[in-house]
Amino acid sequence: MMLLSDVPFIMAIFEYPFLRYAILAGLIMGFVTPLIGSFVIIRRLSFIADTLSHFSLAGLSIGLFLINTLGYTFIGSPLYLAIISAVIGAFIIEILRGYYQNYKEISMPIVMSLGTALSALFISLSGGWSSSIYNFLFGSLLTVGQDYVGIISIVSAGVLLLVVVFYKQLVLVSFDEQYARLVGVRINIFQFVSTLVLALVVSLSIVTVGVLLVSSLMIIPVAAAMKVGKSFRNTITISIIFSEISVIGGVWISYELDYPTGATIVLINIFILFLVGFVKRFYVNKRIREQKHAIQGK
Amino acid sequence: MITVRVHVNNLIFGYDYRTVLKDISFKLNSGDFLVVIGNNGSGKSTLVKCILGLNKVAPGSIVLDDVDITTFKTFINIGYVPQKFDDFNYEFPITVNEILSASNISKISDDKRLELLDKIGILELQNENINNLSGGQLQRVFIVRSLMNKPKMLILDEPTVGVDQKNVEAFYKTVNELNKEGITIILITHNINESNANYTHVLSLYNGEGVFKEVVREEEE
Repeated sequence: MMLLSDVPFIMAIFEYPFLRYAILAGLIMGFVTPLIGSFVIIRRLSFIADTLSHFSLAGLSIGLFLINTLGYTFIGSPLYLAIISAVIGAFIIEILRGYYQNYKEISMPIVMSLGTALSALFISLSGGWSSSIYNFLFGSLLTVGQDYVGIISIVSAGVLLLVVVFYKQLVLVSFDEQYARLVGVRINIFQFVSTLVLALVVSLSIVTVGVLLVSSLMIIPVAAAMKVGKSFRNTITISIIFSEISVIGGVWISYELDYPTGATIVLINIFILFLVGFVKRFYVNKRIREQKHAIQGK
Repeated sequence: MITVRVHVNNLIFGYDYRTVLKDISFKLNSGDFLVVIGNNGSGKSTLVKCILGLNKVAPGSIVLDDVDITTFKTFINIGYVPQKFDDFNYEFPITVNEILSASNISKISDDKRLELLDKIGILELQNENINNLSGGQLQRVFIVRSLMNKPKMLILDEPTVGVDQKNVEAFYKTVNELNKEGITIILITHNINESNANYTHVLSLYNGEGVFKEVVREEEE
């Protein structure tokens, strides 16, 4: 890595396929995660991404156990089990949300605890900590290949298609579930499909930023965009721009300084969030001062 | 032609072991204006939820335009204006136009939407972010939304809570005009004296029991 970084980043993109895959994968996830994250935030389910990512880790650990310890190499990549695991986690969350109608958030810590416990168990059974586990916890964007880019392209295209086709229903269910029910939107089916999509996106994001940082990819760019967005579409657009800046910046820094990619992406996201908050506060204070002067001048 | 729009027949509804509505019956024709009054917990909002199909009705029945509501897949013909902070998520940026576009199930034209915004007096707010609106302005947005799907009936659940007096008067002026156009209105309120509504019927709820009365007004000179 240190040797590669002697080549300037822009040149390296053309020279090394791994860097092109990393940037392509990052850009795709950087587009789709805030898109989904916006609806997650409106529905006040920010914690669900974290829960599903922890439950995915259980799938990853079971996958590593099956592949490394039992020798079931036909599974290919533990990522497939992470996807299945996230979908199962999503099902359990929906069932528990049905049981605890007035305390729906209870479902999250239950599923997260189960996921974390299973992860610890199977990590131990598969021989303890390894570089694979480290990569899944904190991301390994620079190691992705053509297969991964292919999978996320298909999933992202599907997600985008769903959002475009069901845009009205998504907005109605997210902003006003009761009204959506009145005008005939089938809420249960809608919730089920959206949780399923979320599970897919979360499990695929693990490669980009890792289990521990997945929710940040989905939530932080939207949190920053909410501060400056003038409308719903404008807010989503800004969040995608922030997300893409952090992905490109994160890969760049990671390449130049040999830092973990997931961490650099998330830290740039956090930096943007604080910067936006600071700049907005500055302008609000400036406007208040101008108004005060205008009133005093009269 | 006057048709029976709503027929609530021997409606009983309860949560777990507590009966909230006890044998409620009334009939409203097209163009009627019902005010439902009662203290907190008297069953006003429960009644609304029953009419809107959000509470499953049994025993008893609710028939709208000769069709039992249990067979309804959508309540698009009923415009519903909820209490201000009922369910709507106000904090995420979204403009008036964006929320109206998403609610436009009947696919009315942009011109018709602008006409409705103008009629309700909020045309200039169409590109405003909803979290910049006052309580009165928000209620008007909800009225426009409820009118977009050409409702035959409008249900207003305590629509003026937290709205200043000037806007309350403007609000009821609008509601009276809509009623004159033939839309049946059901207004839920805890204080009948607050409203300048030209109601034709009153349903008083007390501990789940209802007294339904027609209001006879003296002919204006």
